[in-house]
Amino acid sequence: MDEKILDDIISRYDSPSGRLLGILGEIQNSERYIPRESLDMLAAKLSVPLSQLYSLVTFYSFFSLQPVGDHRVTVCMGTACHVKGAAAILKTLEQLLRLPEGVTEETRSPVTTEDNAFTLEIARCFGACSIAPVLRVDNNLYGYATPDGLPAILEEYGWRKHED
Amino acid sequence: MTDAAQNRTEEAPDRVTITVTINGKAYPAEEGEILLAVAIRNKIDIPHLCYEASLSPYGACRLCMVEVRKKGRTEMTTSCTLRATEGLEVFTDTPEILRHRKMLLELYLAEAPKSEVIKSLAAKYGVTRTRFFRKVEPADPLGNRCVLCGLCVRVCNEIMGGGVISFVNRGPYTVISTPFLEESSICLGCGACAQVCPTHAIEIEDTGDVRVMKSWAETKVKLRACPVCGKYFAPDVLAEKTLAKINPPLSQEILNICPECRGKHLAQQEILAASGNFNGGK
Amino acid sequence: MKIESHAGFINQQRIGLQKLKPDIPRITVGLATCGAAVGGTAIFERLKKSIEEQGLDISLIPTGCIGYCREEPIVTITHPGKPLVLLHKVQEEDTDEILRAVKSGSVPFDKALCQIEAWDHLMGYTINYGEGFEEIPLYEEIPFFGRQHKVILRDTGLINPEDIDEFIAVGGYSAAYLALTGMHPDQVLEEVEKSGLRGRGGAGFPAGLKWRITREKESDIKYIICNGDEGDPGAYMNRNEMESDPHMLIEGMILGAYAIGVQEGLIYIRAEYPLAIKRLKHAIEQAREYGILGPNIFGTAFSFDIQIAIGAGAFVCGESTALIASIEGRTGRPHPRPPRLTDSGLWGKPTDLNNVETWCNVPVIIKNGSDWYTTIGAPNNTGTKVFSLVGDVDKVGLVEVPLGTTLSTIVFDVGNGGADGKQVKAVQTGGPSGGCIPARLFDTTVDYESLNAIGTIMGSGGIVVMDEETDMVDIARYFISFATGESCGKCIPCREGLKHLLLLLNRILAGKGTDADLVTLKDLSETIVATSLCGLGQSAPNPVLTTLAYFREEYEELVRS
Repeated sequence: MDEKILDDIISRYDSPSGRLLGILGEIQNSERYIPRESLDMLAAKLSVPLSQLYSLVTFYSFFSLQPVGDHRVTVCMGTACHVKGAAAILKTLEQLLRLPEGVTEETRSPVTTEDNAFTLEIARCFGACSIAPVLRVDNNLYGYATPDGLPAILEEYGWRKHED
Repeated sequence: MTDAAQNRTEEAPDRVTITVTINGKAYPAEEGEILLAVAIRNKIDIPHLCYEASLSPYGACRLCMVEVRKKGRTEMTTSCTLRATEGLEVFTDTPEILRHRKMLLELYLAEAPKSEVIKSLAAKYGVTRTRFFRKVEPADPLGNRCVLCGLCVRVCNEIMGGGVISFVNRGPYTVISTPFLEESSICLGCGACAQVCPTHAIEIEDTGDVRVMKSWAETKVKLRACPVCGKYFAPDVLAEKTLAKINPPLSQEILNICPECRGKHLAQQEILAASGNFNGGK
Repeated sequence: MKIESHAGFINQQRIGLQKLKPDIPRITVGLATCGAAVGGTAIFERLKKSIEEQGLDISLIPTGCIGYCREEPIVTITHPGKPLVLLHKVQEEDTDEILRAVKSGSVPFDKALCQIEAWDHLMGYTINYGEGFEEIPLYEEIPFFGRQHKVILRDTGLINPEDIDEFIAVGGYSAAYLALTGMHPDQVLEEVEKSGLRGRGGAGFPAGLKWRITREKESDIKYIICNGDEGDPGAYMNRNEMESDPHMLIEGMILGAYAIGVQEGLIYIRAEYPLAIKRLKHAIEQAREYGILGPNIFGTAFSFDIQIAIGAGAFVCGESTALIASIEGRTGRPHPRPPRLTDSGLWGKPTDLNNVETWCNVPVIIKNGSDWYTTIGAPNNTGTKVFSLVGDVDKVGLVEVPLGTTLSTIVFDVGNGGADGKQVKAVQTGGPSGGCIPARLFDTTVDYESLNAIGTIMGSGGIVVMDEETDMVDIARYFISFATGESCGKCIPCREGLKHLLLLLNRILAGKGTDADLVTLKDLSETIVATSLCGLGQSAPNPVLTTLAYFREEYEELVRS
């Protein structure tokens, strides 16, 4: 990670309240994951033990130590979405992206396709319960999702149906 | 502020002696004293795993729960976080407490299936088997004995100032380890973690001039040898750090030798000095 | 241009009113998260483009969410002197028709839902729009709206949340102005105490009492915090409050800071709410420009400012001590109390933590008085509560009703019963900490005590409706799976207990469960409730306990098979 970018991020947090999570969040958004060097640099710059940073990054769901694919597909598994069929959405996406069935819920961490095009993960609730079931691709939210409508959504991001 | 620091500021200089009642019997205690400490002092049996007097109350293991009776109402709470006040009335073995304690012990048996300490603790309260799935991981660096009480992490971070290990992940996926589960470059090799672990889960092995923290990704810490007897007696980094704090500083000669030899050396000095006086007296 | 006098305040109101009720037609598009997601953004862009291309004299404004989520996207049209007309289920293709109608001084009647002739914003200002369009039903005549009592949601969907002037135009910040220039902090505190306002985060602790306790602590520094973590799946009331009327929250916190004697406030928002974060940041900047936050507010001696801290994906951070740990840069592992937050909270200082909606209740209490507030709701449960009515219900959306309203009224009168004509079987209230309530208990009034008595909690306000086809054991499993994934892992009953509850439920659902398993399910649940360190563990088994109590047949059927 570019040290200048990190310094710039740190400079925005002069108050200790919310600083660590805020900085880590910006690193996650800027690099699309938390690169290991960024933690080493951050530990040195803030005089915080690396073990504390590692603890934070592995505790909070928002951070990923693994690089994500080009497009991030997040399925909401909140209560309203569950009641409206989120499980079927997740299962269909695993099929369309040719990922092992059940892998997302089992590993509880983002799963990336072999060609690195898509990362699939679950979220606990976006708060868009009225348009359940909901999925998000990058920064775009899709409501009233149906298994049949998923190919069209994925195609917007360069996915193509594989002919078996 | 850390919990430890908070704990220290809470101990007021003016100490008031009060009376608390445990299982119907009265005991003297200091106001604000931790109830579990009062029980331990009076040899009253309350099981506990995560309590350590030199650390602030943590409340993780949940085994020390007692029933507090106040104004006709009862409430269950951990005795390690309960502070003694005048007239506090506590019961340690009500049917409700025993029922929950046994269920918790079943959970402990499932979580740390290879821990003899847990097995005997559970047996003490009549729990010899568990209904729950026993998780045995052949390659567990903590030998399937860790109960995540957090004492090692707290001792390392709050007392030794090490920052070597921490909690990793969360929920049932929590483990205690070094960052990235790799060898640590800052471990002092002090072994405080192993000393404080209630289930003896942490393994340390000294071989030759190296101390291997087997449970912490096989972190190796170099030991220093005594120039007099040749034994490897302390980790280099720990010795440096400790000796640097001694004020006034000792002579280099004494600093480098092991405690046993140091003792002998100082005794010799004393004897020589004393015999010199004796002779001189004549 | 800071507001430092009464004249300055009135002047700003006038400016805002010009925007809210201009001399030209005003079109608004609902652009909270849901509205934007289902087409609102596209409609707004298309309208903007067409208005520019055609050189039309029309004011196009983004608003928040009016709460009728099923009918989104919602567009409103207000001709000068005419009522505000709400259009529903607008599509991008409708934009031409909309502009045609507006140009001819009318509205597209086929898309019209209802109209508003006048609207009381409850802060001393009623906006009179006008009369006309007899063909269109009045707002009150729509059952979803008519059965509600909007107090907290009075501005949402009507004003531009990104423009402080519109907020001031409808009476916003007039309570703060009144308090800071004409009331003693004690008076503000007393009004909140007398109002009987109870914490809207779920615990229902009297807000005024918590404020008083914090106020009386001796300390050089104290903090107030707004809990905007809203982790309950199915609940999004706070999200709407922050996205659609952010200044209302800021005003509530200014009043609280004044009453308690605090200079620094924090709003903790979950990372999953990017729009709420953006809107609040923007609102805070605008408030600072006007001298409403920062040093010497309104030119008085009182200074107060607010900082935002963002979460990182942990439901447990809704718990007070975990939230504070998160702000301090630690993992969200709760710590036992005592000490209470009011003794030692953020950075070891006395801290008052309240939910978003609790803060939002304060301006309206101060402006109208506690006597007025106590006329709404029920004894010991004063005021209104916003609920998110979601799931298998016909009218999905945000519902604000006085406390003491029955579940039946909410689900059937406002929500219009089950979606697609199906029977309603149960509702789940209080999120993962709450219980599942069968339809036969729907005459229960929604207040803190009554809900506790039937095994559930009010929680933050999520109400998930389940129809006749719902498998209640699957629902129990869903919640335990959720709780297991969100457990911090510090204490064994929650960390391991929930995991084993999940394994048991999986076995039962796979048809391999036994009667002994049902006994273990109940016993283990009870131990988790009794011995967990924090509220997450203490309440996580509630869905299991309530479904075992109310839907036992479903478990037994699975065990028998």
